[in-house]
Amino acid sequence: MKYAALVPEALVVAAAVALLLGARWRLPAYRRYRTRLPAVVAVVLLIALGVELWAGAAVATYFSGGLVLDRFALFVKAAALLAALVAIGAADWAAEDSPSISLAMPLLAVFGVMVAASAGDVVVLWAGLELAGVAGVATLALRRPDLGLRLLLLGTTASALMLLGLAYVYATAGTADLGGIRQALASSAPTLPLAIPVLLVVGALALRASFTPLQLAGPAGWQASPVSNGLLAGIVAAAALVAAIKITAAVGPVSGVFASYLEVISALLMLGGGAAALGVRSPRARAGLIAACQLGWILAGLATHYRVGTASAVFLLGAFVIAATAAPAVMGTLGTAEVALTGLGSLRPHRAAAIAIALLSLAGAPPFAGFFGEFAVGAALAQSRHLELLAVGLVGSTLSLIAAIGTVRVLYLQNPIEETRRGAPLPVWTRFSAAGAVVLCALIAAYSLFASPILSLADQGAEGLGLR
Amino acid sequence: MLAALAAGIHLQTVPSPTPHTIPGAGIFQSSYILSLAIWIPVAVAVVISVLPNPRGRFDTVIKQIAFFTNLGLMFILFIAYNQFSTFLPNVQYEEKIAWLPAIGAVYHLGVDGPGMVMLVLSGLIGIIAVLASQGVRERVRSYFALLLLAQACVTGAIAAHDLFVLVLFWSAATVPITLLILGWGGARREAAAWRLAAYWGAGSVALMLAVMGIYAATGGTSFDMDAVLKSPLAPRAEVIVGLGIFLAAATRLPLFPFHGWARDVYAEAPLGVVVLVASTGTRLGAYLVLRLLVAAEPDGARLLSPLMAGLAALTVIYGAAAALRTVDLRHAGAYLALVPGGVTALGLAALTPISLAGSVLGLFTGGLAAALIASAFTTISDRAQTRNLAVLSGVGPRMPKLAWLTVLAALGLLGVPLMATFTSNEMTFFGAFKTQPVGGFAVAAGLALTAVALAVVVQRVLFGAPNTDAPAVSDASLGETWYLGMLAGALLWVGIVPGGPKLPGTDQPLFDPGIANVFVADLPEIVAPYAGTSGP
Repeated sequence: MKYAALVPEALVVAAAVALLLGARWRLPAYRRYRTRLPAVVAVVLLIALGVELWAGAAVATYFSGGLVLDRFALFVKAAALLAALVAIGAADWAAEDSPSISLAMPLLAVFGVMVAASAGDVVVLWAGLELAGVAGVATLALRRPDLGLRLLLLGTTASALMLLGLAYVYATAGTADLGGIRQALASSAPTLPLAIPVLLVVGALALRASFTPLQLAGPAGWQASPVSNGLLAGIVAAAALVAAIKITAAVGPVSGVFASYLEVISALLMLGGGAAALGVRSPRARAGLIAACQLGWILAGLATHYRVGTASAVFLLGAFVIAATAAPAVMGTLGTAEVALTGLGSLRPHRAAAIAIALLSLAGAPPFAGFFGEFAVGAALAQSRHLELLAVGLVGSTLSLIAAIGTVRVLYLQNPIEETRRGAPLPVWTRFSAAGAVVLCALIAAYSLFASPILSLADQGAEGLGLR
Repeated sequence: MLAALAAGIHLQTVPSPTPHTIPGAGIFQSSYILSLAIWIPVAVAVVISVLPNPRGRFDTVIKQIAFFTNLGLMFILFIAYNQFSTFLPNVQYEEKIAWLPAIGAVYHLGVDGPGMVMLVLSGLIGIIAVLASQGVRERVRSYFALLLLAQACVTGAIAAHDLFVLVLFWSAATVPITLLILGWGGARREAAAWRLAAYWGAGSVALMLAVMGIYAATGGTSFDMDAVLKSPLAPRAEVIVGLGIFLAAATRLPLFPFHGWARDVYAEAPLGVVVLVASTGTRLGAYLVLRLLVAAEPDGARLLSPLMAGLAALTVIYGAAAALRTVDLRHAGAYLALVPGGVTALGLAALTPISLAGSVLGLFTGGLAAALIASAFTTISDRAQTRNLAVLSGVGPRMPKLAWLTVLAALGLLGVPLMATFTSNEMTFFGAFKTQPVGGFAVAAGLALTAVALAVVVQRVLFGAPNTDAPAVSDASLGETWYLGMLAGALLWVGIVPGGPKLPGTDQPLFDPGIANVFVADLPEIVAPYAGTSGP
């Protein structure tokens, strides 16, 4: 029974491999059930989530400390599985070039997040992060190889910086174990030689977390497939954030060397994301920029470098990964231009509601999940006297909210237009996609209603990382 | 009556030994009466938004659902008002459920006297807003769903007794109201909606910063108003926090120079939204100052009171002067609707028990007067098919019902005797002339200017020489007469019987405990820090 807690990872990887092999060798079963693959994958994810919630509650260590299953891992793994589940459920699969790869890559990315969340040392952490990143690159390259290459180069640069920084940290602490690093640095002073590698690591993670949502703002980003956009903006960014949370917790004793740096990055993301979201018209680009703003809030929570702040950041991470992954996926090809969404509220009410709620949650609009997360981070910022960062974040969120209202207006307050003017076909209505959209709405609502136990779990997660 | 009220407020440091017993008290008891008032409209909005409505076949049904929902809510709120224990210095109908215990946020609702007055106003305005929206023909389902959500947000902000809950509802109100203006507004709806979003968004940022400031200064353990607002802050912190609260309130009330959204919103928004925003939506600003600044941070309130009085005076003078200069009837209504907010702000700035009591009553009466003047001018411009004051002239004889209602609106705005605004304005001025004489005189001068502006506009539009080149004119429809009549009737009702009607030959209230009895509950506690500045 000890290894039951690893069953979710095994299920996710097995499903991804089966999809890839089935597509490669065109197995009869694969051909027969090709149209039902999203539903099959959703069921696998649901089982994995159930097993995770049942078996993941017990704290355990595997592979000589390489994997540590604690409350933080439980929280992040559940959030990643849920994000993939609703994104796959609500996506417009007719808009995807290769359903098998578009299904397999999110599974591999989720596996990467699960590995990173359970990582006990920096090597496993790095491996999980890279796995998620590579899955993102692969799915993006399906439609736009040039974009995939660009992302690969950016990701490699970030990885190189991170490895360099981790090597220095390892040399200073004498161990790759995250808990060991924390213990070793407990007696260290925040010196410049220590500051440089920590800054490299944090910078690389911030780059990796933010460039995917920000990249969606460019015209090239709109042309990628919707699921790949969601994967990059949500799950891949979440992998980087998970790594950032774990590393900032490990180097917490010398937080003085990176706290200001993190504050500047988060302020830039919060304000820049919100302001830029007002300036773009493409809904998918807008979603990416609004997500970047919320990402800044998560980093602001980490900048407080104490338990309540990190717990709030983890809580917000859950809301972020669900909405950021699902928003581009549920928009489908309609997300490329604002006019394509015109009047969707009366034509595809489930999908329109899911888009509106995901966007409003990302923008931190009350009473959706994002608001609760941002409020919790705001409370932590106030407690730690980071009121200037809080003010910047609130301005950024207000700008994001105004941008999100603009898209909601197009969805609901404009009459439908002819197909020729729309520029993209309407998503095919299926019971499965409608159920996916409804589940997404319900999930975001439930995150607000059950905020107390979720935040409590996030708090236990932060405690598990050794924060006080 | 005024003297009795003033004496009552001044002397009440203990609950009244003989609180009124309302016939039927205790018949209906619910621990969730405030939650029902907030969440029923939300639930109905969700139901409406998912109801199938092919080609608008069920538009009438949707309107009826919205109307009867509001009627039901008014019934619930009237029960709350009727069963309210007057003169008690504590919060009533409390609900307390842990929501985010990790940061100290609690789902805490409750109302005292001022809150109860606002709730009654909210219930009344809910019905009136639906009646005023009967002309909506496009996307009826979305319109009424958003209207109900907006009402729920306002009610939630009134009933909130936790700063987290307050911020939640306060901020949330911006979204449905912006969408309502964007979807159903006039020609300049884009400008109106985005201005509203920007100003109210800025106000929300200021409120959130103030709330977080209070949270941090009180130890960062709780957002519950019972805990944080009773903890003394350092004087400097009180001023900084007070400034944030004041800024948030000034964008909502609105006060000059934070009024940039008001003209376009009142002139472009659909009628139902004008009624909602001009009354409860904006009164929330004054309620916020009363609840978070005056009642909780006396040092901050004292330091900021000259600023508040100055802006109140500027608002009234600006509103009147701009109404005199404009050539657009709806703009004139919008400017004049700023006036009651300025008077209420003066009462809050004066910080005397009687002026504060006047301001609390002004939350109700000012809200009604602002909604009545803005919506009466809007209805005239709709019925006259023009809003141009150069064209509109002498339409009174052709729209007698609207002419009467407009005259009542003008009288209500000015606060003449028999109108409810008379009582609140008098109490405000009696208190204000002692502590804020300059502000008091300036606001009084502004009211005189308002009288001139109203006389000029009403004389020209209703009683001037008829313009033969003007488009055809028609009188108010039955629905319009009803909603304007309800606003005017409420002003008259409270103006004539503020203490509620009595059983013939007894001193027992008939069915209405009287707003003058209800609003003083908890007021002595609120005004206690300023008792030294009370009357002779």
